[in-house]
Amino acid sequence: MKDTNGKAVKDIFIACGEGKRTFEVVNPLDENVKIKGRKMDIQIFEDPDGFSYLIYKNHKYQVDILEKSQNKYTIMINGVWYHFSIETPISYKRRKFLSKSSSSSKIEKISAPMPGKILDILIEENADVKQGEAIIILEAMKMQNEILAHISGKVKKVYIKQNDLVMKDDILIEIERS
Amino acid sequence: MKINSLLIANRGEIAIRVIQTAKLMGIETWVLKTSKEPNALYLSAADHVIDFSDHTDEILEFLDIEKIIRAAKDHKIDAVHPGYGFLAESPVFAQRCEDEKLIFIGPSPDAILKMGNKTIAKQLARKHKIPLLEGSLGDVKDPTEAKIIASKIGYPVILKAASGGGGRGMRIVENEKEIEKMFKMASSEAAKAFNDPAVFVEKYVRNPRHIEFQIFGDKQGNIIHLGERECSVQRKHQKLIEESPSAALDTDLRERMGKAAINIAKTVDYYSAGTVEFLLDSDNNFYFMEMNTRIQVEHPVTEMVTGLDLIEWQIRVAQDEPLPLKQKDVKITGWAFEFRINAEDVQAGFSPSLGVIEKMSLPKSKNIRIDSGIQEGAIITPYFDSMIAKLIIYGETREKAIQYSASALKKLWIKGLKTTIPFCKEVLNNSNFKKGKYDTSFLVKEMKIHYFQDKDAELLAAYFATYDFARRLKEDEDKSVDFGKGKSITPWILNKRMKSL
Amino acid sequence: MDINGRNFTKFLDRQHKYDKQNNPEAAEKQHSKGKLLAYERIQILFDKGTFEEIDAFVTPAAIEKGFGRMTHSYGDGVIIGHGKISGRLAFAFAQDFNVMGGSLGAVHAAKIIKIQNMALKMGAPIIGLIDSGGARIQEGVASLAGYAGIFFRNVQSSGVIPQISVIMGPAAGGAVYSPSITDFIFMINKTSHMFVTGPNVVKEVLNEDVSFEDLGGAEVHARKSGVANMIYEDEENTLLGVRKLLSYLPSNNLENSPFVALPEPQKDIEVKLRDVVPDDANKPYDVKDVINLIFDKGSFYEISELFAQNIVIGFARLEGKTIGVVANQPKVLAGTLDINSSMKAARFVRFCDSFNIPLLALEDVPGFLPGVDQEHSGIIRHGAKLLYAFADATVPRITCILRKAYGGAYCVMNSKNLGGDFNFAWPTAEIAVMGPEGAVAILYRKELSESEDPAKLRKELAAKYRNEIANPYIADEKGFIDEVIDPSITRKKLISAFEALENKHVNVPSRKHGNIPL
Repeated sequence: MKDTNGKAVKDIFIACGEGKRTFEVVNPLDENVKIKGRKMDIQIFEDPDGFSYLIYKNHKYQVDILEKSQNKYTIMINGVWYHFSIETPISYKRRKFLSKSSSSSKIEKISAPMPGKILDILIEENADVKQGEAIIILEAMKMQNEILAHISGKVKKVYIKQNDLVMKDDILIEIERS
Repeated sequence: MKINSLLIANRGEIAIRVIQTAKLMGIETWVLKTSKEPNALYLSAADHVIDFSDHTDEILEFLDIEKIIRAAKDHKIDAVHPGYGFLAESPVFAQRCEDEKLIFIGPSPDAILKMGNKTIAKQLARKHKIPLLEGSLGDVKDPTEAKIIASKIGYPVILKAASGGGGRGMRIVENEKEIEKMFKMASSEAAKAFNDPAVFVEKYVRNPRHIEFQIFGDKQGNIIHLGERECSVQRKHQKLIEESPSAALDTDLRERMGKAAINIAKTVDYYSAGTVEFLLDSDNNFYFMEMNTRIQVEHPVTEMVTGLDLIEWQIRVAQDEPLPLKQKDVKITGWAFEFRINAEDVQAGFSPSLGVIEKMSLPKSKNIRIDSGIQEGAIITPYFDSMIAKLIIYGETREKAIQYSASALKKLWIKGLKTTIPFCKEVLNNSNFKKGKYDTSFLVKEMKIHYFQDKDAELLAAYFATYDFARRLKEDEDKSVDFGKGKSITPWILNKRMKSL
Repeated sequence: MDINGRNFTKFLDRQHKYDKQNNPEAAEKQHSKGKLLAYERIQILFDKGTFEEIDAFVTPAAIEKGFGRMTHSYGDGVIIGHGKISGRLAFAFAQDFNVMGGSLGAVHAAKIIKIQNMALKMGAPIIGLIDSGGARIQEGVASLAGYAGIFFRNVQSSGVIPQISVIMGPAAGGAVYSPSITDFIFMINKTSHMFVTGPNVVKEVLNEDVSFEDLGGAEVHARKSGVANMIYEDEENTLLGVRKLLSYLPSNNLENSPFVALPEPQKDIEVKLRDVVPDDANKPYDVKDVINLIFDKGSFYEISELFAQNIVIGFARLEGKTIGVVANQPKVLAGTLDINSSMKAARFVRFCDSFNIPLLALEDVPGFLPGVDQEHSGIIRHGAKLLYAFADATVPRITCILRKAYGGAYCVMNSKNLGGDFNFAWPTAEIAVMGPEGAVAILYRKELSESEDPAKLRKELAAKYRNEIANPYIADEKGFIDEVIDPSITRKKLISAFEALENKHVNVPSRKHGNIPL
């Protein structure tokens, strides 16, 4: 990357994980990548039709991108997934500022987008859900429709059960934003 | 009567398992195809497929007794194997098979009926002086009766549904104040889940170990046991990891429990495969809980340590043959573990992970056995269970078996879904588990975290995400947009465009 | 440094004052809110070193005495100029929130109007980076007149040059009308808001309590109102997104779209396309999987992803050339058309038609969404918008029917007789006046009421209907479909079809403009 004067600068990114864990990655595309200040020797093997893996300190780690949307990633490594949002130093400052201000209401209600029959409920009370995860299968217009959680959080209440008939806008479940 | 053809009224890995043995025995195999998984692996394993794809009734294909029996009769099939779940413990189905002269691979309808009702099972156990948890002698009619019985046997007590299990209709009551409320909750839950509000009261053993014995009987009246399995690693009463034998039993205890198991089976003149479940408390007292009158999911661990093929035995017994071995000939050597690999997201409270198995790489070695009904490209749907495979490991000792298991789990790679592999790894990492010191509270009380994280895993994942992001940015930057091509338009078109403006 | 006497001193002095405007305190004011300076945003949007500022030194208009302070800053709160984006000329204005809250005064407006005029003259895209408190109250009607001037030029440029608005802060009251006339609106989560009447007035008049975010935040506009086409989490990614969008668009309505070569050659045959549509007609799938398998790898840029998700729109490339995609999404609301999806797709089709971008419709629609709600809200009128948009479009337009194509919705999705140039169908296509279940209920009403097992009979008849009437081969034989194709060769077919249509031109009857249902 070059700055306004055309000079090559270090590519600095900050991968923000769960909680307050951050990982500063410098020059990720380079051999001289430094993570959290330490030079690390990691080899990447990617195969879109097969397995991708990393080799670090002579250990193989199966790795996959489960989801990516703009700068938000969910990476699965050896079966365990982690969320990250990849920030630049500027957008990182912005994130810190925004996280200080309070967010809107905690409880989100998910309602039926159209009348139909509840075919299956894929979560239960107190389970954790992730944004975009399918939580209910609603049969309507002779089709199975996945209803997705539009925020991440904990399922507070499930108002319906299998085979219930619901009308449009009936409340199905409540999720507490996490 | 020799069985020449067999219909497997089941799916997934157990269908494949039964087909495997049937093939070795020269039996023609038949299976049922459903519209929910038209490309399932078990379909290609069988010799013949009966198409149930146009099945539109509310009842599941594998629960439609008459349709299955009609299919068997239409194709002149000799016998039916129900697998586990579905109709395996339906006395109605077993009886219907008998009525229609179809050989049912399993015990008699009477045995299924009696042992299927927990209250009757307990009454039989009591009659034959088999150790039982104190409790009500039958169903309890109302909260008041429950209170009286509970105060006699002492708290804590547990209320259980008479007609079902799996945690539903179950409530633990710590003291007298709660019992009436809990009774009402348990009863209504039981009514909803099993169509039967009947509930019974029992002494509650805190943190017991779940020990079950594999028994086998033949129609000639012989009944033996093939050792025990420990299934104490459970979540909400669903088994996750099983082992055989159990580190909790010594020879004497094994003998006493084995005898008790055989005696239970004797009360109903049991034949075919069966499992007697016991609870073992911290003082090594054992209590009969229930008997499962079918082949079980975790049967492979018994097969590994005994060297026997239980499905083969089932078929032989159904053919009226006597048991191939006597009790004294049964030898248990080595140690086996079974890990149920399910499509579940451990980090999100074991919620189902639906999707497609994009790629699967299975470890292979003489100590590893993998029973699976799923192949690459298979879709995990919400209709059937979430089991991807059973990973079964054998070792000469428990320590070796644990060692081989850890290594096998490292090599088991699945792409496309979240699985319980990290959970299994974390269990093996636990020092108490490694010592064989654990009970049914293990998952909830002993495990601080339910999944195993490699050292540096998060850091490496962060790096990989950053790498991909940086690469995408660079690609977008480097991409050259050729505006020249857009500016060179044929005069024919340019002329027309300008005229029409 | 004084080379030529006093004049140069003054020149350098003024330059110095201008640079001081972007001092660290000013920067901190924006950065501490998670926002960037107007100048920083321009630097990210344009290719390095290509931006030339115009009218940097204009000073604000005079105001009536006694009506508040005026900051004597150069530029009057907005940066205007031109530069190159991916090597192509583009114009932009960026409002500076640090100067009187980025509010619009007469001079500020005049600057924007100046750059709009230039963009129109040069036939190049114009991008507005909005970060403004609204009209400058002190300047009174002059501010409002300024806005009107901007709106007028937005309308004049509409369909002539691409106009993009990026809301990077507040945009309230009249200020929201300029973006709504432009072609695309980008918003940034949590730090940008758009509303006509703010929370204070809502509270006063209706006694309703609502926060900025809940009333007109980025999420609201991306998901509920559909006003925002794109939403990003931070400013850098937003501006990079604008650059990405521009790489699909021509500079003006006389040009063809730009060309981006494939990084590596891509096969025209894709066997995976055969497996995307499930055998069971009632099982959903993700139409984006189809899109990603047909077009150049990684070239699909989705617009309005979070709004009316039952239809998917966006730009993609086929052998380097931009194509506008409109696709029903069976995963959501069974892929039916409703008010929101009709409007979302209609505007997109109109945009593509204005700028000579060919269209591809991927069809799997069981009809319009039924309901009192939809009928009373005017699905009749709004559904007609998409119909009109397709029929009126003179760019090459191709339809590929993937599965269902029932009733009126079949016509709406660019059917042959609506003027579709090429109409393909996959073997899984079902084209009929209505779905088999509904059709047999009507056609065989008598037989079904007399039958012993009506459910079974209905199933049999529906299957018969599906096989004999609804199959695509009948449409093919009658000429309503040009060809039933093997899904795996879809890309190949589309490439050659679009090539054949490159020089398409249709003469439209002369009129001032049609009367599209609004």
